[in-house]
Amino acid sequence: MKRSIAVFLQGLVIENPLAIIMIGLCSALAVTTSVANGIGMSLAMTFVIVASELIISAFRKLIPESVRIPIFIIIIAAFTTMVDLVMKAYFPDLSKAMGVFIPLIVVNCIIMGRVEAFASKEPVPHAVLDALGMGLGYTWVLVGMSVVRELLGNGTILGIQVLPESYQPILFFVLPPGGFLVFALFISLNLFLKKKWLESPLGCPDPEGGN
Amino acid sequence: MIKSMFRLGIILALFASGACVALAVVYNITGPVIKTQEERALNTALKDIFPESDGFSDITKELPSSDPKIQILNAYAMTKGGSLLGVAVKASGPSYSGNAILLSGINVDGTIKHVRVLQISDTPGLGANAANPSYYVDKAKKITFTGQFEGKKVTDPFKVKEDVQVITASTITSRSLTAIIKISADAASAYISQKGGVK
Repeated sequence: MKRSIAVFLQGLVIENPLAIIMIGLCSALAVTTSVANGIGMSLAMTFVIVASELIISAFRKLIPESVRIPIFIIIIAAFTTMVDLVMKAYFPDLSKAMGVFIPLIVVNCIIMGRVEAFASKEPVPHAVLDALGMGLGYTWVLVGMSVVRELLGNGTILGIQVLPESYQPILFFVLPPGGFLVFALFISLNLFLKKKWLESPLGCPDPEGGN
Repeated sequence: MIKSMFRLGIILALFASGACVALAVVYNITGPVIKTQEERALNTALKDIFPESDGFSDITKELPSSDPKIQILNAYAMTKGGSLLGVAVKASGPSYSGNAILLSGINVDGTIKHVRVLQISDTPGLGANAANPSYYVDKAKKITFTGQFEGKKVTDPFKVKEDVQVITASTITSRSLTAIIKISADAASAYISQKGGVK
């Protein structure tokens, strides 16, 4: 039981996919220009990683070592296409705003990495918890970044004017260089949280038992 | 060796067919919804541009684009009681990042009635402001980027920074969208004059 909690918490801070492992950054920097996009992307990505880790972990004994990568891609691509279709049907506006980044979840290294490194070796409950942890870790960084960028770069949150009209938006934050700066700040924030976390009684040892 | 190759091939095929079946199920559920969504979007967009019209006919084939980069996707002759009110043109052309799709309405008298951005994938907060109803290129008069084309004559020069106001820091978007509107308007007015409308 203790191990499953540790697996889940791992993705949040200690092994945050964006701020520590630093994979899947391209889409993270590209979509965080507005909060709605950040939330949409995180939800889509979390769904795909949970579903893919679940299926791959369930079938892990039937997947031959030598063709595992094509099989992983087939499964991930199938779930991504489902998300894309469902979003087009029920959330057309969001789907329009996200544009090409939903189909690009297929090549998101976070999913590929977790599936290869974790789900293909672990039982289903742990794989799902790992996916949820990673998804949430991705979500908080993404939503946090998009709040900072939309607020400073546009003066709004979720399209609602928050700062006074007289505020001159700092366009820099919506542009790619601003994305890198905000991302760097989140890396430092996460490192700070990681340090605090490991010092606190919550700080649990690495579930793999190594490192 | 051969045996294991077949085995791997079959396993791969099984996973692929499993994924295909799952996708087919989802597609069958969402397909009709996506279609009605698109139709509804088209109908509201057309109604939005020509609210007084009571019918339209597809004239896409009669409107060639004069620029190879800009494609006229659909064109509709908007009518009221059988007489031509104007032409609605849905056109796609390259913008700052990816294609933008615009719907423009052109009156029979050769002025632009309305322009709508249907799809744009340019930078949010910059180029994407073309589709933002609360982003004004003229803050004092509260005129949006597409709003400034309303009432504009098709024969105007359509020169960015001269008779077309730009979106701040998005000259490429402004220029591309203006080109799409110009091509749509030219094609529409050619159709109108051919049908004997006032030029």
